[in-house]
Amino acid sequence: MANNIKEQTSIPVSKVQRAAKFIQTGARVGGNYMKHYAQKVVNPSMTKEQLHLDNATDIYDSLSELKGSALKVAQMMAMDKNMLPRAYQDKFTMAQYSAPPLSYPLVVKTFKQYFGESPEGIFDTFTPSAVNAASIGQVHQATKDGKTYAVKIQYPGVASSVSSDLNLVKPFARRLLNMNERELEHYMDEVEEKLLEETNYDLEINRGTEIAKACGHIENLTFPIYYKDLSSPRIITMDWMQGLHIREWLMTNPSQEFKNKIGQAMWDFYHYQVHELLKVHADPHPGNFIIQENEKLAVIDFGCVKVIPEDFYKGYFALIKKDLFIKQEELDKIFFDLEFISVKDTPAEQEYFKAIFREMISLLGRPFHVEEFDFSDDSYFQQIFKLGDRISNDKMFRKSKLARGSRHGLYINRTYFGLYNLLNQLQANITTTKPDWLK
Amino acid sequence: MTENIENQIDYREAIIQGYVEHMLEHGRQPASVFKFAKSLNMKEEEFYNYFTSFEAIKSAVWEMIFAKTVAELEGQEVYPSYTSREKLLGFFFTWIENLKKNRSYLLSLYGGQSDLKHPLPQEMKSFKSKFKDFVNEIILEGKETEEIANRPYLSDRYDEAIWLQGMFVFQFWIKDTSPGFEKTDAAIEKSVNFAFDLMGKSAVDSFVDFAKFLYQSK
Repeated sequence: MANNIKEQTSIPVSKVQRAAKFIQTGARVGGNYMKHYAQKVVNPSMTKEQLHLDNATDIYDSLSELKGSALKVAQMMAMDKNMLPRAYQDKFTMAQYSAPPLSYPLVVKTFKQYFGESPEGIFDTFTPSAVNAASIGQVHQATKDGKTYAVKIQYPGVASSVSSDLNLVKPFARRLLNMNERELEHYMDEVEEKLLEETNYDLEINRGTEIAKACGHIENLTFPIYYKDLSSPRIITMDWMQGLHIREWLMTNPSQEFKNKIGQAMWDFYHYQVHELLKVHADPHPGNFIIQENEKLAVIDFGCVKVIPEDFYKGYFALIKKDLFIKQEELDKIFFDLEFISVKDTPAEQEYFKAIFREMISLLGRPFHVEEFDFSDDSYFQQIFKLGDRISNDKMFRKSKLARGSRHGLYINRTYFGLYNLLNQLQANITTTKPDWLK
Repeated sequence: MTENIENQIDYREAIIQGYVEHMLEHGRQPASVFKFAKSLNMKEEEFYNYFTSFEAIKSAVWEMIFAKTVAELEGQEVYPSYTSREKLLGFFFTWIENLKKNRSYLLSLYGGQSDLKHPLPQEMKSFKSKFKDFVNEIILEGKETEEIANRPYLSDRYDEAIWLQGMFVFQFWIKDTSPGFEKTDAAIEKSVNFAFDLMGKSAVDSFVDFAKFLYQSK
């Protein structure tokens, strides 16, 4: 597994493109073939007691070349089991769930279906080809009465394919993660729920509007306005946010001060959502941020929002308290509550996992332990990766068949890994604020 | 004279409409032309001025849907600027919209049939030839813009292949149960893209060319 992850980080762009080509030509039509292939390959060896993990990894690799989309879900959970983000960046986003671009006639048809008019009838101008790929759809630029809009259109039938795609992944994920079916189900439900939510454009508009309103006071942060009357279950119209994506912006060599400013806005944004709203934009993907000329950070795309349950919140963040000066029993209770350890574990396993999680938490919580944290410190990230490799290569860790960590942790971890990574990319120095109860 | 033609068209329309309604309400053909004509307050011999059988009416329904589709399509401002691929996509999307208006009627006729291609129902034949004429125009244009590769023997059959695709789309739609028939939209999008990828210049062409070269320079 660790090897697999290592390779994935170093995939050259051309290889990705090749894989994309693969998908285009073959695999999309070959759903049934894949199922057949899957059963044929997985079943015979399933009767053998020795599970060749390497074998599984091979299957997984070749399949992820064929069907990049759904397999990312398995990958995501592999990550969570390791708890670590070696190949995190860009990998688990719905963007992986990409569909081929919609043809313009289909765009016209979608408009007619919902508004009874073609895009040209509604807007003054409308770009016939997409200007940007969005998750599960695409973005067109439109103008009306001198204002510029971004119009996001969803591919038909995405929602119904989510469940079947996930079912396709399950047998592989199970072998790969060495989990039994019920344990896996526990994560899969969460993933499915989130992916389905992402196809619900009405929900996205409501959440986008809501979070934008609640976070409007945060410095250097800005949001597009969503236009309900120009939106439908498969079309979203919002303000066009002029500016540069993070990578493009970094190429312009912004000053350290400017980078800190943007990074701080990002940190504050997440801080406020997690600790005040208990509701978080769980997709800190570089494509979801735009840096504007007036030195403001614009947040777009609210497809993936995680609502954090109160009791999960308490337990999870209690762990990041400095030095964990909590009593052993208290800590044990939190570990149990968050499902890091379970009554099914042997005492030896319990001890082992407690030690691992303690180490992991003190490392991942480090930015919270200081007033200011420099995310440009690559050695910090190296430490995280090393720990991840070490743990995932450990026999004891691999042997355990239990799913560890609460299902809610899946997206919260992803959010923080994503945020850390973005701040690392920005090379920003951040005042790491924390809520009063954690000080 | 003009009045006369208008009258004729009206009667034609009335007969088609009456037939469709009868099918919708009874789920089967009228017992006889006599009975049907009577229900329209028409003499039997008058009926024959417009149609000679029920088959002919069914055929007219298909043609009417096709004519409407093409008219709507060509009425779209952007249509002339479409590529061949987009024109065909546009056709199918508009066609399905028009079929939708007659879905119950079509279901009563074709809902139970598993395969329409063999044999093709008599009443679809004239629609087929019009469809092929229309498609041939698109193909010709595609060849001009090199969107479609000109291949000996094969490219003469493209119209037939697209007709089969049209039947596939129709049957997919008949069975589609997804909300708003959005699966049909995806089926159209994917199958047309696939078809055009096949018809376009591809690795196979280069391969044939290369193999020919090797063979000839042996």
